[in-house]
Amino acid sequence: MSKIAVLTNDLQYELVEKNPERVAAVAAATPHFTAFLDEIRRRGHHVFHLQLVNDPDDPNAERYDGHLPVQRGTRGAEIIEDFLAPEDVVMEKSKDSGFYETDLHERLQALGVDTVLITGMQTQICVQTTAADAFFRGYNIWVPSDCVVSARQEDKDRALEWLDGYCATVSDSAEVISVLDAEGTLPRKNIKTP
Amino acid sequence: MTASTAGSSDEILLDHGTGAKLSQELVQLIADTLGDVYVGIMEDSAILPVETGRIAMTTDSFVVDPPFFGNGDIGKIAVCGTVNDLAVAGSRPKYLTLGLILETGLPIDRLKQVLVSIRETAREAGVQIVGGDTKVVRKGEADQLYLNTAGVGVFEREPLSMTDVRPGDKVVLSGPIGNHTVHLLSIREGLGFEQRVDSDCAPLNNLIDGVLDRVPAGAVRSMRDVTRGGLTAVLHEYAGKLGRTIRVDTPSLPIQHETAMAADMLGINPLHCANEGCLAVFVDPAAEADVLAALRSLPYGEHAVTIGEVSEDTEVLVLLRDADGRETQLEELLGAELPRLC
Repeated sequence: MSKIAVLTNDLQYELVEKNPERVAAVAAATPHFTAFLDEIRRRGHHVFHLQLVNDPDDPNAERYDGHLPVQRGTRGAEIIEDFLAPEDVVMEKSKDSGFYETDLHERLQALGVDTVLITGMQTQICVQTTAADAFFRGYNIWVPSDCVVSARQEDKDRALEWLDGYCATVSDSAEVISVLDAEGTLPRKNIKTP
Repeated sequence: MTASTAGSSDEILLDHGTGAKLSQELVQLIADTLGDVYVGIMEDSAILPVETGRIAMTTDSFVVDPPFFGNGDIGKIAVCGTVNDLAVAGSRPKYLTLGLILETGLPIDRLKQVLVSIRETAREAGVQIVGGDTKVVRKGEADQLYLNTAGVGVFEREPLSMTDVRPGDKVVLSGPIGNHTVHLLSIREGLGFEQRVDSDCAPLNNLIDGVLDRVPAGAVRSMRDVTRGGLTAVLHEYAGKLGRTIRVDTPSLPIQHETAMAADMLGINPLHCANEGCLAVFVDPAAEADVLAALRSLPYGEHAVTIGEVSEDTEVLVLLRDADGRETQLEELLGAELPRLC
């Protein structure tokens, strides 16, 4: 069984449709992003979609003009169809990191996953925090730079720099597939922490 | 009434704040849970013996969000905040009052959890709770619960004062900075750092007492607990009061790696971050080694380190000096960067 899983973040209708910048950024990434997911699936690796579901009682949940987005059971909370495949796993989360108060870690452990590729929206929030959380839990972290999305390019650039500096191998999706095919695995970056 | 209810309810009702029978039952639950640290007499004032000629008094209100976090809660902070304010003045914290503002619907078990924290922290600090007050507000008028503590400390040695700090004095931190803020922000937003970075919330009076006992009188000139506004606020306060430049060696700042990661991600400066268990100690340079050794020998002081010194320069500045000796100004914060951290 594969030890590699792709985690997507917040690829949900209501989150992407929040503003035109997000719509445009996701639209630009969708062709190669979905192709990458297909390549990952074809090689037998896992795809987990982390689905933000807001709790109406959470005062810290972001409101859009007073409206609480991505409530459970709404269309807005669903994962965008383009990114979904029948064999994928959809996991609810309530906060930025996909590991926060979820059983994501336990499920990955049960599958024997030791390497996670963090993707989705937005690079500087959910991608970054999920990557940091995964790193703290001992996973080998890769971030395909063309499969992460931010409304503002400068936010994405800064987040990728942070990820590269602290906890992840940042590469584009074609390079990820190339390394996978050449080596059968994704090598762990040597990261020194004091 | 059981330990998990006040009257027949397992959550706070408006009637718990009316002063009638349910109020009395709630107060009894509070007193019972606080146990031996509560020595109130249920009258309008506590009447207390004070052995010395001078006392220190302080008060603080606590609205921390979230009120329950990884390694503590609002109750622990409410005791530590006031105890530490008393102790850094050189007094021995002795008495606290406890005011509670409770939101309707707060589970009694959650209230009890806070009271147990208050009891355990008060025991550790050696303070007694001598009186209190309870108010109940409607749903939405508070965030679960807010607390106020006022405290009295007695002086068994000379008070410490900012005005005793001199040029050449060393600035020592008792422990890492930024952890409390990162811990809370991480829990608020689910950032994943809370599993690696704990709040530093701690009662520091025993540490302070231990250090002052172990070093000659005058070796410690002054100290502050580094709370809201962070180290930045403390250093600027001293620089302004003394009319001197304070220089800090950036490489020596005790910042946990994961805290630096989070701060870098969030775009916040650990020097601005609130802490709840860190002291800035201004030390006679001749006694620096003794003070560091004393701090490091005691709980909550194990990671004490010298971070800089008060200079002869009379310009009111805080300068950060990097590893190459380059200096940049540490600007004073104009407002609170992040709300509800204590």
